[in-house]
Order: sequence, then C-alpha cells, then structure tokens
Amino acid sequence: MFGTRKTSRFRIAFKTAVVLACLALVLSACGDDEDSAAPEAGTETTAPATTVAPEEMGEEVLVMEHLGDGSLGTVEVEPGEAVQIRSLNAITGDVAFFGLPIERSVVLAIADYGQVHGFDVDMGTGLDDLCSNDGGQAAAQIIVADEDVVGVIGTSCSGAATAAAPLITDAGMVLISGGNTSPALTSDLAGTPGPNYSYGYYRTAHNDLFQGRVMAEFVFNELGITTAAAIHDGDPYTQGLAKAFTDAFAALGGDVTGFSAVNKEDTDMVPVLTEIAAGSPGALFFPIFQPAGDFIAEQAPGVSGLEGTVLLAADGLLNTSYLALSQTEGMYFSGPDTRFGQNVNASTGKSAQDFLAAYESEYGEGPAAPFWAHGYDATTMLLDAITAASYVSEDGSLMVDRQGVRQYLDNVRNYQGLIGVIGCDDFGDCGSGKITVVHHASSDDPEASMGNVVYSGGGN
Amino acid sequence: MANNWAPKTKVDWFLTVLRVLALGVVTVGLLAFIAQQISVDNPFARLINPDATGLTVAQFRGLVISGLSQGAMYGLIALGYSMVYGVLGFINFAHGEVFMVGAMTGMITSNKLDDAGLWESNFIGSLLFIVVVSMLVCTLTAVIMERVAYRPLRKAPRLIPLITSIGISFFIQNTSVVLLGPTSKAYPDMPDWLTAKRTFLEIEGTKILVICVAALAMLGLWLLVERTKTGKAMRAVAEDQEIAGLMGVNVNRTIVKVFAVGGAMAGVAGILWGVLFRSVIHYTGFLPGIKAFSSAVVGGIGNLGGSMAGGLFIGLAESTGPLLILEPLGVSGVSQLRDAVAFAMLIGVLLLKPSGLFGERLSAEDRA
Amino acid sequence: MNGNPLLDIRGLTVEFGGLRALDGVDIQVHEGQIVSVIGPNGAGKTTLFNAITASVEATGEILFEGRTLLGLDANQVTSRGVARTFQNVRLFANMTVLENVMVSQHCRTKQGTFGALFYTKAFRREEAEIRARAEEILGFFGTRLIGFRLDQPAAVLSYANRRRLEIARAMATQPKLLLLDEPVAGMNPVESAELTGLIGRLREEWGFTIVVIEHDMEVVREVSDRVIVLDHGTMIADGDYHEVSSDPRVIEAYLGQGATTK
Repeated sequence: MFGTRKTSRFRIAFKTAVVLACLALVLSACGDDEDSAAPEAGTETTAPATTVAPEEMGEEVLVMEHLGDGSLGTVEVEPGEAVQIRSLNAITGDVAFFGLPIERSVVLAIADYGQVHGFDVDMGTGLDDLCSNDGGQAAAQIIVADEDVVGVIGTSCSGAATAAAPLITDAGMVLISGGNTSPALTSDLAGTPGPNYSYGYYRTAHNDLFQGRVMAEFVFNELGITTAAAIHDGDPYTQGLAKAFTDAFAALGGDVTGFSAVNKEDTDMVPVLTEIAAGSPGALFFPIFQPAGDFIAEQAPGVSGLEGTVLLAADGLLNTSYLALSQTEGMYFSGPDTRFGQNVNASTGKSAQDFLAAYESEYGEGPAAPFWAHGYDATTMLLDAITAASYVSEDGSLMVDRQGVRQYLDNVRNYQGLIGVIGCDDFGDCGSGKITVVHHASSDDPEASMGNVVYSGGGN
Repeated sequence: MANNWAPKTKVDWFLTVLRVLALGVVTVGLLAFIAQQISVDNPFARLINPDATGLTVAQFRGLVISGLSQGAMYGLIALGYSMVYGVLGFINFAHGEVFMVGAMTGMITSNKLDDAGLWESNFIGSLLFIVVVSMLVCTLTAVIMERVAYRPLRKAPRLIPLITSIGISFFIQNTSVVLLGPTSKAYPDMPDWLTAKRTFLEIEGTKILVICVAALAMLGLWLLVERTKTGKAMRAVAEDQEIAGLMGVNVNRTIVKVFAVGGAMAGVAGILWGVLFRSVIHYTGFLPGIKAFSSAVVGGIGNLGGSMAGGLFIGLAESTGPLLILEPLGVSGVSQLRDAVAFAMLIGVLLLKPSGLFGERLSAEDRA
Repeated sequence: MNGNPLLDIRGLTVEFGGLRALDGVDIQVHEGQIVSVIGPNGAGKTTLFNAITASVEATGEILFEGRTLLGLDANQVTSRGVARTFQNVRLFANMTVLENVMVSQHCRTKQGTFGALFYTKAFRREEAEIRARAEEILGFFGTRLIGFRLDQPAAVLSYANRRRLEIARAMATQPKLLLLDEPVAGMNPVESAELTGLIGRLREEWGFTIVVIEHDMEVVREVSDRVIVLDHGTMIADGDYHEVSSDPRVIEAYLGQGATTK
C-alpha cells in the first residue's frame, strides 16, 4: 500500500501550511503597523491654501456662490439623478448592534433633510465595514469605484477606518464617522496628527483620549483606586483607548501594573488574566467587544489575585446584550454622554426625541447603541457641506465641488447637533467629547444600567 | 531514530539547527522562569526580563487547570479527526463544526430546561440530558455528512473529500447563522455550588467537571475500540479496508460507526465548551477544531490515546507557554501569542518526532 | 462428483482496461475437493481469486451453492462462506494475534453496538464464544500461535507464523470454501512440508473445500485431487496431477516461459 508515502506527504503539506499560517499571523500583525506608519503626505499640504477664514463665510455668500476651488474635481449630478452619498458601517455579526443604528440614522437624516438644491440624496445600499481592516478596505474599494459618490458616513469601527480612510479621501471624497474614536485616526489633541490621519476624514464621535482620561479620573479620584491594568484586543480602537486610559491614569499619579492583549477569538482568558493578576491591580479596564468581553468578565473572579478587582469596560461593551449577562453585574462602563436632552439638530430642526420616535416606528425597536445621534449629525453636516459646495449649472445639473465640501467641514464651529455643540478641529475631530461613566447594578434590568450615570467629564 | 537525525544534506542541517533552536528557546525560557520563581531579583531572571514578576502557586495552578480542562476538550474533538483519518485517510475539516453543532444544541436545550426551571433544581440530571441530546444530534450530523458528502467520494483521490469537508464546514456555519442568527448566545448560569472554588485545591467545580466528563468519555471510547467487536472492526478497517471486507467486516457500516462515534465525542466536547465558556457563536467550532486537529497530529494521528494526550499537551502549552516560556524571555504582549505558542508547539513536536508523540512507527514492510 | 458443484464458474471474464486477465474460464469445484490452480506468472490465478471474492469486477457467472456471487460486496461473499489468504501476507499488523482471528468472526456474530455499549450478558457470552473459537483455531497450528503470542501484535511474528495466522484468520470466518494463495511461498522445506500436511488436515478435520494456488509442484502433487492450469487467462488443462503434468500444452506453456515442472 501507499500508507507511508501518503502520510509523509501529508505531514510535509501540513507543516508547510502551519508555517505559512504563522507567517500570515505575524505579517498581518505587522501590517497594521505599516499601514498606520504610512503618512498621507500629499493630501495634508492641500489644506491650508484654500482655507477660508470663518468670518468671511457669511450664510449669504454660501448660497449665492459655492465653496471650493475645484482642485479635487467636481461631481456633476444630472437633472433627475440623485446626489450620491454612502453608509459604511458594521451591520453584521457581533458588532451589528453598534453599526446598524448608525446606518439607520443616515437613512432617517436624509429623509429629514430633504433635497439639496432641488436634488434628491441617495444612500444606495448600506455597506458593511465588518468591523475590520479587511472589511473597511474591501468596502472602500467598492465606494471609490463609483466616481459620483461625494461623501461617506462611516465607519463604525476604527479598525475599518484605518484602511478605508486613505482610500476614500484619496478619491477626493470625505469620510465622516459617527462611531470611530481611536486617537490614531485624528490627533493626540495637542497638535500632532495621529499615524492614521488622512485629510478629508472627520468624525462626530469623541476622541478616545477624552474617554480614557475620564475613566482614569473616575477610577483614581472617585473610586480611590491607585493600581490599574488594561487589556485590549489588538484593534486600533481598543488599543488606543486602553493606552489613553493607562497614560491618563499614570499622569494622575496611579500605578499601571499591567498592559496586555487578547485575540478577538480567544475564549480561555485565564492566561492573560493570570499575567494581569501578577501585578494585583485594583481595577482592570478592558475596552473590547463581545464575545471576548464575556469571557473576561466570566473568568476574572476565578483567577487568583483578581478576586476583588473592579472591572471596567467602555462603549464597545455598553449594550443591552452584554449587560444582560449575570457576570457583568457591578462593572463600570465609560461611553459618550447620551443625555441629549432637548438638543435639536440645526439643519433639520429635529430633536433626539423626534428621532427616537421615528426610529421606533420605522424599525420597530429602539437603537441598541448610542452612536445613532452621532451618525445623524454626521449626515446633516455632510449634506450642509454639499449644499454649500454646490450650485446648479446652466444646463440644470448640480455641480458639487469636492474641495468645497472639505472646506466647509474644516470650518464647522458651534454647529448645533443632537449630540450638542459640534466644532471641527484641524484634524477632523468634531465631536463634543463629553463622556459619562455608568454603573451596572443588575443584569435583570440592562436598560436602567445604561442610564445609571455615576460620573461625567471631558469635553471641549 | 537517532541516526535519522545525523545531518546528511543541507536540509538535514537546517532541520537540526531548527530543532536545537526550538529546544534552546524552550529550555532558556523555562530556566528563566524557574530562576524568577526562586527569586525575582535573581540575576538570571533580571538579565533576560527586567520586568519579571513571577507567579504565585495559586496562579500557576490556575493556568494548569485551565489548560487541562481546555485540553481535555481538544482531545475529545481530536478523537473524531483521528478516527476518520485512521480509517479513511483524509482530514475531515468539518468535524470542528460538528462540535459547534453540539455546543449550539446544548445552548438551546439548556435554555429550554432553564425556562422550565429544571436547570437549577436538578442540575446533574439536566446536564446528563443535554449531553445525551447533544451526542445524538452530533452523531446524526456526522452520519448524514458521511452519507451525503463522503461516501460518494470514497474512491476519489484523498484531496477531494478534504476540499469537500471545507465546503461542508462553511455550509454548517452558514446554516447556523441562518437558523440561530450571527450573534453569540449564552448558556444559562451554572449553579453556584459548581462555579464556587472547591475546597479541594481551590479548583473551580466547572473545570473539575469538564476534566471528569472528558475522562469518562475517553474511557468509554477506549473500551469500545479495544474491547468490542465493533472496535476491532474499526481497527481492521483502519488497517486495511479491502482485507477487512474480505474477512467479513461490513466496511460501509463500520465507517458510519466511526463517524457516529467521532460525532458523539464532539457532542460531549460541545457541552463541555458550554460549561466552560457559557457562550457559543457560529464560528465557535473553527479555532478549537484547528487546535484539536493539531492535537491529533501532535499525538500521532490515527492513535486514539495519542489524540487525547495531544489535546492535553496543546491545551497546557497554550495556557502555560506564554507565561512560562515567553514572558521570562522578555517578550511583550505574550497572552496574544497563545495561538502562536500552540502551533509552534505542534511544529516543535513534529520537528523532533515527525510521527507525533505516540505515532506508530510502522516498518515499510508492514505498510507495504 | 455427484450433485451440484459447490463452486460453479462459467465464462468468467475479467478485463483491466482492454487487457483480458481472465477470458471465459469455466471451473467447477465439488464439496470436499482440494483443487490446485497452477500456471505461469501472469496467467490470471490470483485474478481468479479476486473475482470470486468481489475484489475485482467480473463478467460471466460465479455460482456458490447455486447462488451468484457477482455483484455482492466482499463482506457478503465472506458471509456466504468463502474465505481466502493472500500471496503477500496481509494481516492487520497492529492488532494482536487473537484480535486478528476474532475480528474475522465479525459476520458470524449477532451482538450489535448496543450490546457492546451496555455490556449486556448476551454480549459477554458471545465475546467469550468468539474468543474460545479463536483459541481453538489457533491451537490447530500447534503451540506457535497460542500462549504469550496471543497478545502480541501480528507485526512481530516470524514470516512462517504470519502465513499460519493468515490461514487461521480465514478459517475463523467459518467458510465452506477456502482459497489459499501460495500458502508455502517463501517458506523453508521443513516448514513447507509441514504446511502441506496441514492443508490435508484442513479438509479432514474442518471439512473445508479448498482451492489452492501453488508454484511448488511437490505441494501440488501431494495435496491435489485435481489440478487446473491457467495460461494467459484461459484454462488449458483440468485433471489429476499425472494427466496434467503430461499434457503437452501445459509443458509448452511452462517451457515456453523457461520454467520447469520439476
């Protein structure tokens, strides 16, 4: 028979496969860094030349003329056609709870906004960022292949934006995110652009430096805990936030006893928790996602050295499905301030209550995560920018100046949105930066815990 | 064996260097770990990793128990890979999905029992019930898989059922998404008396339970294979299908039984997953499946005891390896490297003993 | 030679991609006979066995006790009462001597997996019977295969013992017809003479009808009631040893090949 020969051939093939798989793992890990290291040299320099000082931009000027110098090209929308924008959010899998409300907020904002210079606005089919680098890249390639697209609302996940932002901004489009919070995508809030910053990228979500700082203040000042550790999952969002937390905690005078990482697919957390337990931290911050977050909360109390450690997480886990797990009781969560109160969006005149009512009647449920308001404001900002940067030509077509769209967004100041007052800084951070910390009291009533604010801070 | 290692060609030299390197890294890492355990200020420990902190006994025990319970589960899944490989000579990559089906079945059944209030009032009975249901469902899944997808390909080259199994794997995953949705689903809470740390060595009851159930399942399988005529028929078919047929063994029926038994073991493993992690999602079967397959290879594929041992080895390696070997060497973010450690161990074992830890070394004549 | 033959082969043809390994062979074997099949290499002797035991596709007709064997699976042929050994010994090398002989009783037993799983009384009784019969059969070969050897893997046996075990394994299927493919090949003269004696005893003591492929003409003369000669897939002679050995076509077939009939 051929047993021996087959076996050895199989083994060789298998060994090769394993070696390749390991290489791929290593390369993909490095790949993230390389991507992030590549600066968007060309686009940054175009910005200052066309910037118009805010005081010159009176409302009358905007409607009579249009913004922009045409340097990034013009999109021509023929009569009867619609202005094309896109939604690129995490709408499937474990993170759909987070991206789906953003996509729906785009739909509702377009409906509330109405026409732009008499032209309809079309979102097309909602694209999926898969909450991953690959997903963001694939979807961005689809988007940039369509030259009629002016702007994109997305992505949900910072990891997806790392790949999508360079592609989309290189094509002259703008990308406005209602969900990204990684500091790497914008700046360190002190004038240094993040490694993944691209000109043409904006966001209404907060920069996680605010979130990390507020969580650190809460732990150090309010809980009086002086030792803390953090765990991320390699995603730019989680890594950035974990880093922001430990940096701020150390700056307050706390002792950072550990900083480690898991893989998104890990289930057995005992090793990483043991590694963390070696430093006996008083608090453990893991701003990651489900399902990995389930396992950390489940297994931490069983690891020697972590029995009394306070568990902390962030907006990635602040959702009803996570809070319904019994092992998450007693945890603290940081997240954007969702006490929107009587805020009204200046472009549509709708309030948060109006939005929630419309959402409920359209989709039969409430939004599962808070970033719907950020998505809504991002969309109305984009539509305002398109309005300002376009005019109807003699043959009846709508001419949208791509550079003008960016020029408008660069100069947004004191814009009233659902999330509060919005103003864009030099690196695309437009969000309010207000952060709250909630305490999770009972897994039987997750809704109540989401509103159980025990601390708030941050903001411009 | 030793003479096989004497370098003859450039490839042999290369392999020898790799073997020495692999052993060297493991040895230095372990020595550094021991050094830092003796005293954190030990110069040897300081030299390699200035930030070394060491582990307490309780932490070390926690790692070992966690690795063993996870490894026992890998071992049970590995049995299915090993048996099918032994009998049909191809890797049934869809076997990890059978395991996932078991975990899903347990999730649905246990939640139903929980709704009925039986989960808490009669936990042992409920657990037995979900194990039996999961074994039945997994057996059925595996048998249908064999009948529909593999039997028509019995005479095709080995690569073809292999590719087919990858296709089935996706089919089962996607079916799970369609039927149960794409989000992770939770098992009901385990009773407090189980999750509390037992006085016995302060080990969590769930982990003791998992190791015991795995040991029982393994014992049952061993008795079946070694002591019964069905088992003898399976081994006969594994050795030589044609001769087994000529000696009166119904080959088709025996192959069905092999899939059935492998499926049943995956069913048990699925429940153990549920007990350990309480959360299941459609891709739950993927990584454990690959690790279980690695376990089967490490143990010597085709050898059942080897599969179980390989599972424990891989489980222990990925659980303790990062902290025992890598951390003392000063590698950062070691916990994220656990999968890399698991697969590096696989490569390491194959470098040192290509037939696996318990692989049978058949002479050419026996195989001929 | 009265009554219907136990094995009745008519017009048996086996083709391998256009090459006819067997071409319209007719053979009858009556109960209690020992028939030798001889012929030069490539004459189709082993193919004949393969056709009977459903290892190759064949056309024509093979009747065993009046019922056809064609179209059955190998294990069904075995249940009907046909067992065989192989030219190149093919044991289950990693199973023990005892297990080799126990597993081939598979089709003669009734207890299913259910009995095995729950370890029922009936199952235990049957296992005991299987084991007793296995030891009885192995005892037929003297002390060589029993005692401590029972639990040794077949792979460690000497060559001659492996040949003996293969016959024992075939016997354990409780056949009516035993097909032996070169049972003494590779044995020394002493072992060979002993096994030749055993072939006769297999008929006398166990009541098997036997068809044996053999190259050693001493053995053929010793054991056969009848000799059948195959050449290039056709039967060229059928009769007792003396008739066949003086047949000019047989001599030509062997001489033409450079072989001798000793």
